[in-house]
This record gives sequence, structure tokens and C-alpha cells, in this order.
Amino acid sequence: MSKISLPPSGLAEDFLGEIREEQAEIQLVTFALGEQYGVPISQIQEIIRVGNITMVPNSPSYMEGVINLRGRVLPVLNLRKRLRLQAKDLGKMSRIIVTEVNNKTIGLLVDSVSHVIKVPPDFVEAAPEEVLEIDTDYITGVGKLKDRLVILLDLEKLLRREKIEIKE
Amino acid sequence: MDYSALIKDYLDDANGHLNVFDSALLSLEKGGYKKDTLINILGALHTLKGNSGMMGFESLKTYIHHVEEILEKVDDNSIELGQALDTLLDSANVLRNALQWIGKNPTFTPDLMENILALQKKLEGSGDASEKQQVDLLSYLGTKTDTIKVDFKRLDSLLNLVGELVIFKTRLNQIETQAKGAINDKSFAKDLNEGLELMGKTISELQEGIMKARMLPVSYVFNKFPRMIRDLAKSQGKEIQLIFEGEDTELDKTVIDELEEPLLHIIRNAIDHGIEVSRDRVNKGKNQKGTIVLSAAQESNYVIIKVKDDGRGIDFDTVRRAGIDKGLIKSEDSLDKDNILSLIFSAGFTTKQEATDVSGRGIGLDVVNKNISKLNGHVIVDSIHEKGTTFTLKLPLNLAIIPALMAETGGEVYAIPMSAVDESIKVREEDIHIINNHEVIRFRERVIPVVRLAEFFGLSPSPVIARDKVPKQSHLFGAASKDEIASPLARNDKKGKQKKFYLVIVSKAEKRIAIAVDRLRGQQEIVIKPLDDTFGKSYGIAGASILGDGRIVLIIDVMSFYEKKEVLAGV
Repeated sequence: MSKISLPPSGLAEDFLGEIREEQAEIQLVTFALGEQYGVPISQIQEIIRVGNITMVPNSPSYMEGVINLRGRVLPVLNLRKRLRLQAKDLGKMSRIIVTEVNNKTIGLLVDSVSHVIKVPPDFVEAAPEEVLEIDTDYITGVGKLKDRLVILLDLEKLLRREKIEIKE
Repeated sequence: MDYSALIKDYLDDANGHLNVFDSALLSLEKGGYKKDTLINILGALHTLKGNSGMMGFESLKTYIHHVEEILEKVDDNSIELGQALDTLLDSANVLRNALQWIGKNPTFTPDLMENILALQKKLEGSGDASEKQQVDLLSYLGTKTDTIKVDFKRLDSLLNLVGELVIFKTRLNQIETQAKGAINDKSFAKDLNEGLELMGKTISELQEGIMKARMLPVSYVFNKFPRMIRDLAKSQGKEIQLIFEGEDTELDKTVIDELEEPLLHIIRNAIDHGIEVSRDRVNKGKNQKGTIVLSAAQESNYVIIKVKDDGRGIDFDTVRRAGIDKGLIKSEDSLDKDNILSLIFSAGFTTKQEATDVSGRGIGLDVVNKNISKLNGHVIVDSIHEKGTTFTLKLPLNLAIIPALMAETGGEVYAIPMSAVDESIKVREEDIHIINNHEVIRFRERVIPVVRLAEFFGLSPSPVIARDKVPKQSHLFGAASKDEIASPLARNDKKGKQKKFYLVIVSKAEKRIAIAVDRLRGQQEIVIKPLDDTFGKSYGIAGASILGDGRIVLIIDVMSFYEKKEVLAGV
């Protein structure tokens, strides 16, 4: 923790708020899939351009294929298909976000990567219940920026669910 | 293993025990009596005694035995430690000298009669402590060891690095080919070529060296079974002798590790189902003792492991009936010997009415099949009624790098492990016939079912057509319309009528399947990388490999073709 010097007022409440904010500030990487989505930067290893993707037969439809990431064979998920959004062709801005969750490295194919944003902890609000169906519990919440909304994804849940679905 | 190698192992081991003995004695001298230390010494000496006996050094064995006696007397206080210590330290020197003689001349058998007599005297309480053993100073250093223990993970990561190196080498070779046109200077091109070739040679040697370092003799696994066989045989009132052949054949440690369980199941089956009780054997005119032969031999890039018993063999009628009961086959199916034998590998298959604690639960042989396929190997079973059963396991020498046939279909390249490939042939559409709604080819007096790889994987038959427009189902496996089944030629466009393509004939336990592909791209050594199974295991894919140009090819799991019953039903 950084060094704290008492403010001239000597009152705790004058600086406690500042500290809290500092500690809990989150960095999000936001990307576009029609809407803006965000995931914590701590779960992201790197962002790469879309190169040669090898299709894997007999795999779920949202599995885009595998890529060669510096000698590693990395599975790539088509996030649009996974989130059951309308399919869209690959474009110039398409990117693969390489995520690392639970010691598994998985690529996520997205339309484009927007920004890295720093947000205060109270930025995220629980998504309104009407949009949260059983199938959408991988949405942590919705954050409000000045001009738009950012949907926060829980990658751990999103990627864990895959396995269960296959077993069914 | 030959004798000199055995001697080396013995000496390495013996010197280790001797060092334990020595340092423990020194700590006794310093710190006085300690039970733990004494037990430590006794353990080391006991092993040394046993090993010496096994190597035929009787005199050494007797000598160590007497040393043990002294230690026991120290333990029960009938000799004082201080008195015994000199004798014990001396005895360590005697042993060290003896080992050094053996090290210098492996055929030498040390005679320690004098020393034994001296020790006996000590035990009886007489004798002179001044009779010091003369020791060559150098012998304190012991014989130099030629072996080191290495964590297997280190070897594994080394092999991975070599795998990468192989990939980069291929890449460089490709660049060289591309650059050839651009290089005008002939001698420069030659130098480049020579340099690359030399590097390639060294990489191959490096690869081979690391592979060798990972090898263990198959006796490592074999030796786990004598006791189990003895106990199982005894509990079932059977007499069984176990014979090893070629147990010094070497295999990669990862293969050795995966081999234990399949062998366990096969041997267990041989004892439980194969070999009869002694009385029955005599009645049948067989030797009262049953025999199980465990053999290993190397054939080019493979190791062949056989488990052969001279028991009652597999009764085809019983297996057939059990197969019908389990609904695996229909009573009207006409099956040949191989078809029936393949039933015993089905999950849950058993002919026993009740499970014994040894076998009969129907788990076992399907595990064998799964484990061996995982290693890119095969299981072949052969049985003659009343004569015995032989299980043959064909395994690749190592797991990480395998030769593969590169085949192109639907615009994608796939690697087919050479271990499964019998041969490949060029055919035209009209060579393919339809029997019973299934595509087959007549080849070498056999009718072989044809599987079109593109359809098996739900790819478009031609790269021109977009992938999405082609229905995922293949007509071989139901779902497609009757018309399509009736006319495979309908898929050919006008130009394609005379189109030639290739059939890669693979076999498993004498069963052949022809995999139809568009083109062959030659043979290549590939490094196997596992596919992430977060999204479930992709059916028909065994793994992936990275080519020299950085592209990923998927490795075909040939065994999965056999799991589709519809494929085999065609014959």
C-alpha cells in the first residue's frame, strides 16, 4: 500500500474514499460483437491478428478451429456463435483475444478490440433480471460508460459451460 | 541383458550400499549407538547380500552375512558397540576391496574365506583386533559410476525442444527451396545447402540420442507380473509357468508406463479364462503346467509384444452367443473369425455368467484396446480352440514423433499415422462398388469398405464449394437421402467423371478400411501435440501437429473409423 499522509483536516473520511477507489479500480479490455463487451485484463494474455485457422471436424459449431501460437496448438472459439449472436464474416478488424483462465489458454474470436479502460468498482451493475435467463449467467453485469454500455463476461463460467454442454 | 552390463549395475548399486554402510558406521562412531542408524545399515547390507548372492559371489554373501550377525549382536547388546566398530569399519574395507577386484576384472570371484574365519573368531570373542585390513587408498573413492538419475520431466522437455527443432529444420528447408531461384551465386547456394544438411543430420542424431535416453527395457514391466501370476494361479488351483522372451527390448518410458495396464488385463484373462486347472489339462493330454509366454521384439519402428497362453482358447460359439445376448450383433449376421474376435474388445463384453473377483465384469479388453490405440498401436488377437490364445500388441517405439502419410481432402491436409497404413492406391469412381448401400472396393481378392474422409469429417467434397452449404451427415452413416446412396457418381460433376483419387488402406486386426482422399502429399515425420479437450474430444482426431510452414495439420484417429459399426457392416 502506498504511504498515507493525513490530510490537514485530520479526518479519516476525507481520504479513505480515495484509497478504496485506488485499490479496487478494474482494468477491462473491451471488444465489439455488435455491442461492447468487456473482460478483466488480468485474464488476457495477448491479442493477435487472425491468421490461418485450421478447422477441427466433428467439433461444436462455435469452435472456430485451432491456431499455431508460437508452437502451441491453441483452440479458438467463435464468440459470436458461442453467445448465439448473428454470424458475421471475418474482417480486417477481426482479432483473437488469447485468454488464460484456470490454466487453460483459449483464443476468442471477436469483431474488433476497442480499448483498455480503467473503471471504478461501482461501474458494474448487475444486469437487469429480465435479460438474465438461465443461459446467460456468464454475464457478470453491465457497466455504463458516458455514451454506451459494456457487457461484462465471466470467462470462467463461459468456458466451463462448454464441457457440460458437450456431455449432454 | 548381457553379463557385463549386469555386473556394472551390480557394482553401481553395491557401491551405493557400501557408502551408506560407511557413513552410518562413522556416525555411530561419533554419536554412539542409535537404533535407526543400525537398521539403516542392516537394510543396505541385506540388499547387498542378496545381490551378491544373485551374481554368484557366494563368498561375499557369506561374509556380509557374518557382518550382519555382528550388527545384530551389537543390537541386542551382547557385543559392545565400541568393540565392534573397528571390526565393522574393517569389514567395510574388505567389501570395498572385493568390489574393486570385481570392477577390475568382472570374471573374478572374490574368495573371502580368511576374512570370514577372522570374523567368526571375532564373533566368538577371540581373535586379535590388530589384524588390520590393508586398504588401497584409492579404493576409498569406490568405483566410478556411469549412471545418473535424471527426472523424467527433464528428458521430456528436452524431447519437446528437439521436436520444435525438427519443425524449424523443415521450415528452413522449405525456405531454401523457395530461395533457390532467387540466389544467383551457385557456390553460395551450395554452401547454404550443405550447412542445412549438416544441421539436419545433427538434429536427427540429437533426436535419436534423446529418444534413447528415454528408453527402458520392457523387463521393467514384465517383472511386475511373476508374483501376480503365481498368486492368481494358486488361488484358482492352476499351475502356470511364465516364460519371458526378449525382455531386454527397449521402449520409450511413456509407452512402458501405458503398457502395464493392458498387459495386466490380458494376462489376467489368460489365467482366468485361458489356462485350465491341472486335472482338466491332464485329461486333455496337455502338460499339467500351463504356460504363459511374454515376449517382446523390435520390428523396424515398432515393438511387438505378445502374450501367449496354451489354454483352452476362445470358444467362438460362446463369444457369438454372448454377443447376440448383449445386442452387439444379430443372430442372422454371418461373421467370420475376425469379426467374432473383435467382439471381445467391446465395452462391457463378457462370456461369464457371473463375475469372479479376477475377471468377468466385462471391463478389461476394451481398456486394452483404448490404451493401445492411444499409443497409436494395435491389438491383434488370435486363438485356436483348445490350443491357446495369443494377444499381439504392436506399438511405436516412441510417442512424440511419428511417421505419417499426409493426405489432402476437401482442401484440408490431414496426417494419417503410418503405423496404421497398409498401402495406398489410386482409383477412379467406377472402381467403387455399392454393396448393401455401402461403398466398397475390391482389392487383392478382398472387399474393403470405403470411407470418404471428407464426408466422415463433414467437409465439402471439393474445396470450391463453401463448407457451410454441404450437409454434415455422410450417406454412409444414415441421415442422407436414398437417392444419394444409390448413386455415388451423382456427386461428380461433368469434368469429374474420370477423376482419380486415392484410397489409403488402413488395417486393424486384419480388418481393412479404405479411406478415400483427394490427393497424397507424401510421408513426413510429425511431432504429435495433444488437442485441447475443453470443447470435448473431436471425433476422429487424435491430435495435431505443426508443419514447417507453421500450418497446423490434424492427425487422424484411425481407430475411430472402426467404432462406426456402419462402416464395417458393409462387408
